[in-house]
Amino acid sequence: MPIQILQGTLDLMILRTLATMGPQHAYGIANRLQQVSEDTLNLNQGTIYPALVRIEQHGWTRGSWGTTENGREAKYYAITKAGLKALDEETERWRQMAGVVEKLLAEEQ
Amino acid sequence: MTHWRRIVAKLRNLLGNKRAEENLACEVASHLTLLADDFERGGMSPQEARLAARRALGGVEQVKQAHRDERSLLWIEQTIQDLRYGLRTLSRSPGFTITAVLTLALGIGACTATFSLVNAVLIRSLPYGDPNRLVYLYTPNPQFNLPAEVFGPAYSDLYDLKKESTSFQDMTAFDESVFSLATQGSAERASTARVDGDFFSTFQASPELGRAIGPSDNEVGREKVAVISHALWQSMFASSADILHRSLLLDGNAYQIIGVMPQGFEYPHYSDLPYGSAQYKTTQIWIPLALTPHQMDDRDNASGNAVARLKPGVSIAQAQAEMSTLMVRLDKLHDARVRGWGAQVENFVDGTVGHVRSLLWLLLGAVSIVLLIACGNAANLLLARAASRMRELGVRVALGAGRSRIIRQLLTESLIVGLVAGGVGICLAFLFLRVLPLLNPGNIPRLNEASLDTRVLLFTVAVSVLTSMLTGILPALAVSRIDLTDFLATSSSRSVAGAHTRVQSTLVVVESALVVVLLAGAGLFIRSYINVVSVDTGFSRSTVAMNIGLDARYSQPERVEFFRNLFARLAALSGVEKVGGISNLPLSNSEDLREFEVDGYPNKKGQLVESRLATTQYFSAMGIPLVAGRLFTQEDKSDQSVAIVNESFAKRYFANRNPIGGRVSREDDHTRWSAVVGVIGDVRDSALEKAPEPQIYELDGNFGGGYIAVRSTLPAESLAATIRSTLHSIDPNLAVGDIQTMADLESEASAQRRFQTSLLSLFAGIALFLALVGLHGLMAYSVSRRTREVGIRMALGAQRSDVVILVLRKAALLLGLGLAAGLVCTWVATRAIQSFLYGVSAHDPITIGAVCALLAGCGLIAALIPARRAASIDPMQALRTE
Repeated sequence: MPIQILQGTLDLMILRTLATMGPQHAYGIANRLQQVSEDTLNLNQGTIYPALVRIEQHGWTRGSWGTTENGREAKYYAITKAGLKALDEETERWRQMAGVVEKLLAEEQ
Repeated sequence: MTHWRRIVAKLRNLLGNKRAEENLACEVASHLTLLADDFERGGMSPQEARLAARRALGGVEQVKQAHRDERSLLWIEQTIQDLRYGLRTLSRSPGFTITAVLTLALGIGACTATFSLVNAVLIRSLPYGDPNRLVYLYTPNPQFNLPAEVFGPAYSDLYDLKKESTSFQDMTAFDESVFSLATQGSAERASTARVDGDFFSTFQASPELGRAIGPSDNEVGREKVAVISHALWQSMFASSADILHRSLLLDGNAYQIIGVMPQGFEYPHYSDLPYGSAQYKTTQIWIPLALTPHQMDDRDNASGNAVARLKPGVSIAQAQAEMSTLMVRLDKLHDARVRGWGAQVENFVDGTVGHVRSLLWLLLGAVSIVLLIACGNAANLLLARAASRMRELGVRVALGAGRSRIIRQLLTESLIVGLVAGGVGICLAFLFLRVLPLLNPGNIPRLNEASLDTRVLLFTVAVSVLTSMLTGILPALAVSRIDLTDFLATSSSRSVAGAHTRVQSTLVVVESALVVVLLAGAGLFIRSYINVVSVDTGFSRSTVAMNIGLDARYSQPERVEFFRNLFARLAALSGVEKVGGISNLPLSNSEDLREFEVDGYPNKKGQLVESRLATTQYFSAMGIPLVAGRLFTQEDKSDQSVAIVNESFAKRYFANRNPIGGRVSREDDHTRWSAVVGVIGDVRDSALEKAPEPQIYELDGNFGGGYIAVRSTLPAESLAATIRSTLHSIDPNLAVGDIQTMADLESEASAQRRFQTSLLSLFAGIALFLALVGLHGLMAYSVSRRTREVGIRMALGAQRSDVVILVLRKAALLLGLGLAAGLVCTWVATRAIQSFLYGVSAHDPITIGAVCALLAGCGLIAALIPARRAASIDPMQALRTE
């Protein structure tokens, strides 16, 4: 069954993707997310746009136009220093959060 | 909240944020292409691939909208944050906020008010189609040593020009006349323009009711029609709907009303024509000029005024060139004795407002200086406040606020102050405009139409925003340069404050310098005004005078009889001492020039002199003194055998001779002479500022119209009432004009000077006040910062007087620097106002001295208050603070 994206986690996933794969265009990012989730993520590719603009406005990514291997024009997003820092913080926060939830669920069982 | 957010987002989209939109469109398109490429590679047809790509993306428009919402959210939210934070901090220090707002409001209000005048007089378009294509036509003649504007073209010349020229689209001739307009049971004087058939089409003005005067109305027998002004329609006909079935009685003739002009069209105005009639304010009635064929062919009968509209794309220079060429030919058709008629085409708008343009720009310049001073003050207040907020801002920086974020926050605060000040400023300007009619000198066209229209309000908003930025940028930059390590190390704001006071002191010095310039300007204006009003006019101020023009009901002998009767009845009144008549009263803006020669003087051809016709008692009625010889007597014959000249005439034409017994030639014939029997004192005739010109007076034994002058021991009002009732008893249908004392005329003649002097003085006063507030604020601030230092000094034995001197010395230094800089600026600036001055040099030492003394005195008083507070510091208390 496809799962919904948790509020606020999309930013983290995009930042992670960019940190791992280097500069990517929106399509590349969306593909990567679907690939990793093995298609369990219910993702209209368009839904990543608000997240993209949000993290760009925070100064976590910088966008620039480039050409794909197939010679198409596309806007590439590259993670910035601030983005890497934010990624660390967000990862840490997610881990804590996930840990708390996991712990809670484990105790309840 | 969401709803509100979306409205703002929409607003933002409206304002265009085109680049982000284009960028987004490209990005989405590229995304779709990439998707489609992959689907195609997977084996779909191009069309299927495109559809699949759209499905995968999930709705192009939804994606874009989601992007937009997200995009503008951060911006809006930060702005809202800044605004709320700004409002909160401002309301927490009301003293600061109110002072800053009022300071800027004074500056912005003064600016708005002045700009509304500039807008009404110079910018707002005249209601005459495209006024920039209108021109005045003149045919100057170098034979006469007179300004070109005196010579309207002869009717025949004008109509030939109209036929032959190609530069003009329309051309019209018109005249100003004062008619007696019959009202219920009485009559009043109505300013009437007699216009030819093309007047209204030239001005591209159409009536709001009925029709305008056209060419057919100018045919003989059809000319008894009239167009009236909106004002007259309201006042005389109570805006009645059947106005087009009513008629007017002008000088006893009935004129059918055919049209009503809209409000705002009252051309010509008194101030429009350089040599317009003095009896004229605004035009209330237009009637056909109705020239006879004979008049239209007459090359010696000049039309009063000619206005033409240039064809689109034709420049004034081109029109001038064409008219000059045509006039060369037309000149040859003139009487051989007087030829040399040239051509002059002048810009209409310049003719209407040219004479006040420099004055209005000068006032706007002065008021900008006031605004700059207000900005300086507000900046100083903000700097002082920033220093005391150093801890708060330091903490924000330490918590990670970026430099640009802090600057933005501070600018938002100054923007709030600026906009509120703009609002208050508009209220101040509104009040000013209510008072303005009291100051209106009457010769600035459309001054009373000044209002706060959209353009003025936009100007105010722009000025407010600019002011906010000017005011806010300095403190914002200074504060954002906070060095975090410094801040944390000292744990107080002391270190950063030092740099600020330097900036603040500089601002106060600059303000004082600007004030010096304004004060000097105002001082010179005041001195000029005093010089003008204390000029010796040469006549008595208490004499009562009026213009009486008898209408067409009277024949020439009846006119003479009327005035004989009037003079006799007025002279018989108890309290009335002398009654005289004159063709041209001083300061009445009327002139009569004639050619003349002086016996035994090297006369030049075309030599002109101001010429007057006076009755025997005129000079004594006006209080004009006899310098030599005698006045006219009853025994003198009014056949031009005797003449009286003024002192200027005697000095110029009878230098080193006795004028009494000398001879001057008669107007029509240079071989016949009048004997000079007396010399009278000079009077100021055309303007208070203008030195008297030579004049010849001749006896008018058959006075039949013009000005009468009455000297009496009665108060002016009761004398005027008596004259009015006397006139009414002689002829109840006579329209009686204004009855004024010569002092009233003097006051009118100095009205523009009074206007400019009071405005400039007001601005200089505001500037001085603001600068003193600024100085006081800085001194108070520095005293409060140095409390501890003062405490230590006093603990170590400093006297209270030492402390006062310490503070005053600093104030004196700032003022001294300001004065010095200001005097340098003044030296340059006052030269620009040279043309506005009368009887005082642009570098008048008395004015400069007074300005220095005033600024120094007021400045030291402003500094004394904080100085005394410093001196009253209790050392024990002071040492315990901080």
